[in-house]
Amino acid sequence: MVQTLTAHNLRRSFGSGDTNVVALDDVSLELHPGELSLLMGPSGSGKSTLLAVLSGLVPPDSGQVVALGQKVWALSDLQREEFRRQSTGFVFQGYNLFPALTVREQLEMVLLWAVGTPPREAERKVEAMLDLLGLAEKADRLPEQLSGGEKQRVAIARALIKDPQLLFADEPTSALDWQRGQQIVELLKASARQRGAVLVVVSHDSRLLPYADRVLHLEDGRFSQPERPAAPELPRRNP
Amino acid sequence: MNKLLLEHLLIWKSTRLKLPYALVTVWRRQLRYLPAVFAVAFSAMLSTLQCGLLVGILNIAARPIHRSKAHVWLASPGVRGLGFGRPIPLAWKSRLLSQPEVQRVEEYLCGFAQFQRPDGSTDQCSVVGMQLEAGSLGLLADLTPQMRQSLTRPGTAVVYESELPLLGLRDTPGEIGEVAGHRVEIVGTLRGGDGAGLTPGLYCSLRTARALLAPLPERQTTYLLAQCHDREQAPLLAQRLEASYPDMDAMTSGELAWRTQCYWLIKTRAGLVLGFAAALGLIVGAVVTSQTLYGASVASLPEYAVLRALGIPRWRLQRLVLGQSFWVTLAGLALALPLTVILAHLARPMNIEVLLPPWLVAAVGSLTLAVGLLSGTAALHALRQADPATLLR
Repeated sequence: MVQTLTAHNLRRSFGSGDTNVVALDDVSLELHPGELSLLMGPSGSGKSTLLAVLSGLVPPDSGQVVALGQKVWALSDLQREEFRRQSTGFVFQGYNLFPALTVREQLEMVLLWAVGTPPREAERKVEAMLDLLGLAEKADRLPEQLSGGEKQRVAIARALIKDPQLLFADEPTSALDWQRGQQIVELLKASARQRGAVLVVVSHDSRLLPYADRVLHLEDGRFSQPERPAAPELPRRNP
Repeated sequence: MNKLLLEHLLIWKSTRLKLPYALVTVWRRQLRYLPAVFAVAFSAMLSTLQCGLLVGILNIAARPIHRSKAHVWLASPGVRGLGFGRPIPLAWKSRLLSQPEVQRVEEYLCGFAQFQRPDGSTDQCSVVGMQLEAGSLGLLADLTPQMRQSLTRPGTAVVYESELPLLGLRDTPGEIGEVAGHRVEIVGTLRGGDGAGLTPGLYCSLRTARALLAPLPERQTTYLLAQCHDREQAPLLAQRLEASYPDMDAMTSGELAWRTQCYWLIKTRAGLVLGFAAALGLIVGAVVTSQTLYGASVASLPEYAVLRALGIPRWRLQRLVLGQSFWVTLAGLALALPLTVILAHLARPMNIEVLLPPWLVAAVGSLTLAVGLLSGTAALHALRQADPATLLR
């Protein structure tokens, strides 16, 4: 399967008449597996909109997104939902963990309900993921019993448990101090590299720049600067 | 420390047991769902007690029938129930005695009259005349042998203790009243029972009843009772008699009891009133439950939106919400049941009979469950707002 994520001439606006706001103005890009693509820009630049369009959540007014060889916006709603189920993982800004479910249950639910994994296999995968992310001892804790960093790790685990080919993270470190934020970004990057997944991170935190393989700077719905080469790469971890 | 230990234990137990997510979320966030649980419990309790009260009232109306040893009753055609029979010939005894299933036939008088109290005021009462021999089909089981002996004297009657005040009588021997111009002496008070009809009753001999229910023509009665060799033969016997003699009604005890209860249900509109109150209770429960579940769903919208983003189909989430409404309703019912039983027991000393037969409890429980699930569907509206795109704004 072709594992790139490309966008062609995306346009998206909100509102109409005097209140019309152009969120994306003829945006095109190509992203590759195993790379961390950092989407940056000031507030209102269209970063979240671009992420939403790339991930199949918000339709563009025009243009197309091709992900894993499929034209995402040529699919029906049901097909797109299936596409997201099969291929995408999301890490959102605010953890959004179910307050009444334990860490283990948060992950199991995704496997059982999204993937249809048999219970025993789901249990095994969950245990493996918890070990990988250092959450094994927290498996039976509720979110209120976790620190911010732990919660975000759970959110990442939930995104990764399906083994997605496309991973989207919206401000994954904004609620964390830099030490924990660093751990989160490293985790995301390592996971993407290990899985050969396309990783798109939206952030306005310039401290993430050293981690990016590609930086896309968005302003007023357009890429305002030529794509900047990433800073000298950090030593790659073994897959 | 103890609270923390208990929390951990509960979480450990629920994870080991692999409980449904709907149950787990309700169990671990009990405070959030308690209003709905209490609302369901209240509405189920109210509905059950209302219906139990109604069943109790109607049971009283049919009590003389249930307490008799008769299997089949003969009455005038179209009789509405016990106490409403028009005069029928005593000669119809032969219609019964000619049937091979019939073991025994008896006369039974029952009608309504005006009782004049000692102070001159009047009130409706029922007059029940029965054969006084031990083992008679229509004999009141609460009668003692002394009372039966006393009742052989014409113009005497016994009354239930709980109904004395209704007739303006005191619990002293020899109290006098008047019915249809005839003097009635109360020679005994029946204790322990709750009355045997919806109106206060005067229980007496056939001879006394005939005088009090005047004008009752000679050689006529209001009901004929038949006892079969085998109770199982009663339905067929009644059916055959009905087909053979269109000028009378032949019914099993159950059928007469049903007619009597239906009459009082419709006549008094008690069914309407209590049914309305019960429905109101259910509506209140449904509204509170739906609001609670709606609020819980709205509070969890970001979480639902994440699951939608991850591709979990909407029907899964809908099932989760409906599952929560199921467990909340079940918890409410579990709370309601013992409380209802306790309240029904507490009502007895006040001579309020609340009957809770299993079918009634099951019916109200099922209805409450259905309403609970329905109120869960109202909460499904909240799920429509679970749009993953909102998480990116």
